[in-house]
Amino acid sequence: MVTRKTLISATLVAALGVILVLGYLAGRSFREPARAISIAGMTVLEPASPLPEFRLHDQSNQLFDRARLQGKWSLLFFGYTHCPDICPTTLVVMRDVQKIAGGKEQGIQYIFVSVDPDRDNAATLGRYLPYFHPEFIGATGGQGELMRLTRALGAYYESGEARNGNYEVHHSAAIFLIDPEVRLRALFAGPHEAAHLAQGLQRLKGG
Amino acid sequence: MVRYKRFAVGVLLLITGLLAVADSSVVVRDAWVREAPPGAPVLAAYFTLENPGSKADKLVAVRGADFDQIEIHATEIRAGVARMIALDALPIPPYALIKLAPGGYHLMLHHPRRALAAGMSVKLELRFESGTRLTVVAPVRRAEAGTAHHH
Repeated sequence: MVTRKTLISATLVAALGVILVLGYLAGRSFREPARAISIAGMTVLEPASPLPEFRLHDQSNQLFDRARLQGKWSLLFFGYTHCPDICPTTLVVMRDVQKIAGGKEQGIQYIFVSVDPDRDNAATLGRYLPYFHPEFIGATGGQGELMRLTRALGAYYESGEARNGNYEVHHSAAIFLIDPEVRLRALFAGPHEAAHLAQGLQRLKGG
Repeated sequence: MVRYKRFAVGVLLLITGLLAVADSSVVVRDAWVREAPPGAPVLAAYFTLENPGSKADKLVAVRGADFDQIEIHATEIRAGVARMIALDALPIPPYALIKLAPGGYHLMLHHPRRALAAGMSVKLELRFESGTRLTVVAPVRRAEAGTAHHH
């Protein structure tokens, strides 16, 4: 009888303990992102999601891989140069973010990854990107490498059907924020506002 | 006689006035072309279409000597993915104001035949289903923060 009573009490105490711990954890995990997500369109990943190895090349034909993201905050957007509306619109927003939050000197880099490697290469990207900002990095690579990167970021792209000798490339509208440990830290859904992006970046970056 | 003449003129004026209202066709305002990086294969043009009349119309085609081809497009973001949709026509309902703006409706201008930079302008001929043809002169402008927004 005594042992049974003890057993019941012990079970009750243990259950209470579990409930308290779960409650504390739930409360904490709800509170943490809630503080950061107060910026419109921004989703913060808790925990941040590490990126795999990938091999692209930039507009100088230099290897653009995981190591190029290390030690910096990176804002990354997928697009293509045959895109008249949303890509230049987004790059103008990124240029405005650069004006507010800073660039290289502040440890921030801005990257445009072309998901149209059949038409975009180092030369086309080298002509295209400096128009928006001389520091902006343009990169592209083979479909396999692009897939590896987009998949890791939860991004999407797909070439549409050819019409009149032209085709569109559908692609994620989001801007991805990668932290200095090369982890996806946050993403911003479109339509993009430079002030919101800069604020979100500065809040996570600190300082 | 003089009185009748005056009356007839009055009636004529009234009729032409009414016809003008009934016939009032689509108006194009604030046309501009966004300057693109040098060598960019495509550009976009934006403007506002206003239909002051009670008859629906449609923008069905655009011609311009500065480009190989011009298409009417809409940028759509569905489930986080941006897609460009080519439209056969852009409907302009009665009394409607249709805005072509970054991130939404736009003209896709394929392969400029000359290098276009801010300060220059291009001629575009807008063709409507009603038969109306409007020629607009669209200045090439650099997109600044204020014009990059879309709501």
